[in-house]
Amino acid sequence: KREKHNGKRRNGDRQENKRENQRRKRSSKSVQGIREESQSKTERRERSRRRKGKAEHETSGHEGNKRERDQTRAKSTKSKKNIKNEKTRKLEGKEDGEAQEKSEKGKLKLVCTKNEEKIESGDQLKEKEKALGVKKKKKRRKKVVETSSEPETSEDGDDEEEVNNDGEVRPELLSPEELEKLKEAVDEKKKLIQSLRGKPWPMKQKLVTLRESQLFVEKYEGALGKGKGRKLYAYKVMMTKKWMKFQRDFENFKTACIPWEMKIKEIESHFGSSVASYFIFLRWMYGINMILFSLTFGLVMVPEALMGRPYGSIPRKTVPRAEEAGAMDFAVLWDFGGYAQYSVLFYGYYNNQRAIGWFKFRMPLSYFLVGVGTVAYSYMVVIRTMARNANESGIGDDNSFNFSWKMFTSWDYLIGNPETADNKFASITTSFKEAILEEQESRKDDNIHLTRFLRVLANFLVLCCLAGSGYLIYFVVRRSQKFALDGLENHTWWERNEVNMVMSLLGMFCPMLFDVISTLENYHPRVALQWQLGRIFALFLGNLYTFIIALMDAINLKRKEEKVVKYNITMWEATLYNGTGSENSTAPPITIHPADVPRGPCWETMVGQEFVRLIISDTMTTYITLLIGDFLRAVLVRFLNHCWCWDLEAGFPSYSEFDVSGNVLGLIFNQGMIWMGAFYAPCLPALNLLRLHVSMYLQCWAVMCCNVPQERVFKASGSNNFYMAMLLVILFLSTLPAIYTIVTIPPSFDCGPFSGKNRMFDVIQETLESDFPAWFSKVFSYASNPGLVLPFILLMVLAIYYLQSTSKSYKEANVELKKKLQMQNEENKKKNKQAALKAQMDLEEAKKSASQTAEHQRNNNDSVQRQEGENAKIYMTR
Amino acid sequence: MVSPAIALAFLPLLLTLIIRYRYYFVLFYRAVLVRIWKDCVTGLSREERAFQYVLTNSTPGDPDSILDAFDYWCSKVEFISNIGPKKGKILDRLLMEQSPLTVLELGAHCGYSTVRIARALPLGARLYSIEMDQGNAAIAEKIIRLAGFDDDTVELIVNPSDEVIPRLRSDYNLERLDFVFMDHWKKCYLPDLQLLEGYGLLGKGSMIVADNVLFPGAPKFLRYLRKCGLYEWKIHRATLEYSRGIRDGMAELIYQGIK
Repeated sequence: KREKHNGKRRNGDRQENKRENQRRKRSSKSVQGIREESQSKTERRERSRRRKGKAEHETSGHEGNKRERDQTRAKSTKSKKNIKNEKTRKLEGKEDGEAQEKSEKGKLKLVCTKNEEKIESGDQLKEKEKALGVKKKKKRRKKVVETSSEPETSEDGDDEEEVNNDGEVRPELLSPEELEKLKEAVDEKKKLIQSLRGKPWPMKQKLVTLRESQLFVEKYEGALGKGKGRKLYAYKVMMTKKWMKFQRDFENFKTACIPWEMKIKEIESHFGSSVASYFIFLRWMYGINMILFSLTFGLVMVPEALMGRPYGSIPRKTVPRAEEAGAMDFAVLWDFGGYAQYSVLFYGYYNNQRAIGWFKFRMPLSYFLVGVGTVAYSYMVVIRTMARNANESGIGDDNSFNFSWKMFTSWDYLIGNPETADNKFASITTSFKEAILEEQESRKDDNIHLTRFLRVLANFLVLCCLAGSGYLIYFVVRRSQKFALDGLENHTWWERNEVNMVMSLLGMFCPMLFDVISTLENYHPRVALQWQLGRIFALFLGNLYTFIIALMDAINLKRKEEKVVKYNITMWEATLYNGTGSENSTAPPITIHPADVPRGPCWETMVGQEFVRLIISDTMTTYITLLIGDFLRAVLVRFLNHCWCWDLEAGFPSYSEFDVSGNVLGLIFNQGMIWMGAFYAPCLPALNLLRLHVSMYLQCWAVMCCNVPQERVFKASGSNNFYMAMLLVILFLSTLPAIYTIVTIPPSFDCGPFSGKNRMFDVIQETLESDFPAWFSKVFSYASNPGLVLPFILLMVLAIYYLQSTSKSYKEANVELKKKLQMQNEENKKKNKQAALKAQMDLEEAKKSASQTAEHQRNNNDSVQRQEGENAKIYMTR
Repeated sequence: MVSPAIALAFLPLLLTLIIRYRYYFVLFYRAVLVRIWKDCVTGLSREERAFQYVLTNSTPGDPDSILDAFDYWCSKVEFISNIGPKKGKILDRLLMEQSPLTVLELGAHCGYSTVRIARALPLGARLYSIEMDQGNAAIAEKIIRLAGFDDDTVELIVNPSDEVIPRLRSDYNLERLDFVFMDHWKKCYLPDLQLLEGYGLLGKGSMIVADNVLFPGAPKFLRYLRKCGLYEWKIHRATLEYSRGIRDGMAELIYQGIK
């Protein structure tokens, strides 16, 4: 579309130039007189053509802006000059009514333009047009009195002249009838432009026609108005052009504003859309985390930091005496103990004060609502995106025209790198080969058992692997519990971090093994990717749930400990007060430093800490794998290749490929952990945001610098929704434990915003009772009455059922329609074939009959001859 | 002390590496370990052992049976990087199509490819075979004679290729080579090709076939081909000789000259 506009603009320019030329000509006319003009007409025509060409070159070189300015200037000067010209002409006074002449010319012009149209449609009409041109010339000669013979005027010249004459048509001097005609002509031209695409003409002719009619329309559309309208028109044209330019710039600006768009496009051009889909997914994830982060940061962390009690005011906000020594260690950075633990970053720091600050910010309520809100928002976004994607991807993917699909849709048009294009080319050819082989095999139907067996075997191996890794994690978790009972201090760093290490290592290496095993199965890479994703999903899920089960055990341990501590504290307080009471009753109340107050083990903070540690170790493993597995390998391969006995780049270690499935799943599970842990550690979204930001740049860099395009590049058109579906499952699975802990386990008694309550969601009850008017809580209690809730849920279920069944029926109807279409197509084909066959038969018959008649004649002749010959023979024998 | 669990977590990695690169391990075992072992046990070189086997298991004067014996020995007993039967078929086809009169072979090794080429040559053609190593050349000579090719058909030149090529025109009266087969040191592919170009031994339409361009591989050679534009070239993809999983290729070049 944009190009079209450009073309238009250029046309406009050309037209301007023509006008200018003509103006020059006219001025020369007035000076030199007409006699000379007619004699040197042809010559000048040529010159003008040359000049025009030059001008075109010049203008095309100019910037658009300048062009526009020139144009406007030209227009304004032109109108002035026209008037001047007229005056000079009238002064010359050679002819009688010049206006009449002009109107005549205008009429002629109309006819001519109509003819022009027709020239294009048929060669025969050309002659007619020529004749018209001659006629016109004759008339003109009559008028101009001067009669100079001018037999050699080429058609081109004629056209040129017509164009030159265009400018002389002065619409303000036309009669209404002619105006009407002009209008009609313009309308016709417009129609022509619209219907041009469907015309069965050669391209060149189409282009020429298009350009000419556009010129015509542009020229006369505005001219239809009166003198004032012209100016307005010029202004309008200028403004539309400026507006167009602005729109284009704005469009560019918009793409520049999309974060990382250019980077992703570059990667897409080098690695195909499957790799790019990962980065688009990453960006989408970043957006979601941005919102989660702004929610937790703006509504929980900042208010607590600004308006809540300061650090050190109450026990839960101070580092206990025992930990003070190591509270500023360097290890705090990745262990998140010490000062980091006793800060807004974790659940335990928050106070259960109902309202904080000067405008009574309801902290516990806000904490709870943000926790629920982030999850609800995530659900909403994921489901909405899924629905949108489902609409898009619901059309294709049927196997009925396998080869046609392959033929016409297998190229990835976003590839802009020769190497990738080579790979794509190779992969398309191999896919064709494979498809042909498959087709043959499906006809032979013998090898299917082997592939089935191999697939079953592969799945069995994968299951074994999964079971093994699950058992290993279980074993490690049990051991770590033993260590925890012994006390962590007397174990090495390796043993303390065993669980995280083993989980990360298994998560890293098992997918490789799956990948190797999946070569047995011989699936299409897109299907293989989905299987791979499913397997890694199972692995990660197993790992995650073992981790959660271990965490649950730890929570139970902590709660037992808490009970003991609670008892001890009451005893401690009693002894404290009793002691002081007995000693001196008038003494001021004892002030104990909050760091010395005994406190319970805050299980919520422990959970949050575990998640934060897991995220950090996960991130570290990802980055280290990236650096070692990709970067170091690439460096080694690149620089050792000069002094190695085989080709490292093409052969054995080679460069690594980008692992789409592993990375996508890493991202998804990372997000799952964020959702799970964000309630107990409000800093998690912030950390995740940081991680995603860094990994965006790091991975973009790593992909471009040390990976090679996949050998089988394939389109990732259908995989986006697969990612989304997995994300939804993970979201559900990660909210389950979080909801379970919130609903079933009572919060710790001395830390967090819900301390002292029986359950965390009691906050809502409390708020309803104290902050809202009585009628509201009454309404709420009525509304939450099971008698009302149950019918409502029933209604919802019914609605869902209804919607689902309607969508199903729609889908069925779609399938039916598709079938019908196909049938119709086939029928049409058959009909056509039959018609063709019939025509062929007829033709053959006709031919045959013709040849038969010919043969008949010949036969006759032959027989005559033969007879004669026979006769002769007979005669001879006789 | 690293705990056993962490060590166990590396098991999948180990398995992956073993499964993914199994062909390379097998190749390493057959080409290096077995060779060293046999060298120690028999006291003969690998080529001599191959020759012994071929001598006892083939019909003299019949190139096909010699090639078959070689193939059997290389795939079942030990490993010698001959061109192999699969890529050999491609070579045969190219030779049949081209039917060259003067052929140059760089790297005769123990004569397998020489016999293979000589077998496919038309009547009156002449094959110059260059081998650098003295011992290998002696065995190659024996094999060639065993196959029944005389001095007029096959001429074995025992010298490094970069010394022979400059003297080809003067010493052997060669004007133009129709067909060149390269199977010597992979690093010498490019310099030798440039030597051939430089001494004007290639004419328009001469064909050059280079084996093992992907594994062990001649990256500089391929890069030069891509850049120089003197050749019309393609790579016949196949697997490494006597091994299934390692991909290899044979480059086929047709000299076009400077346009």
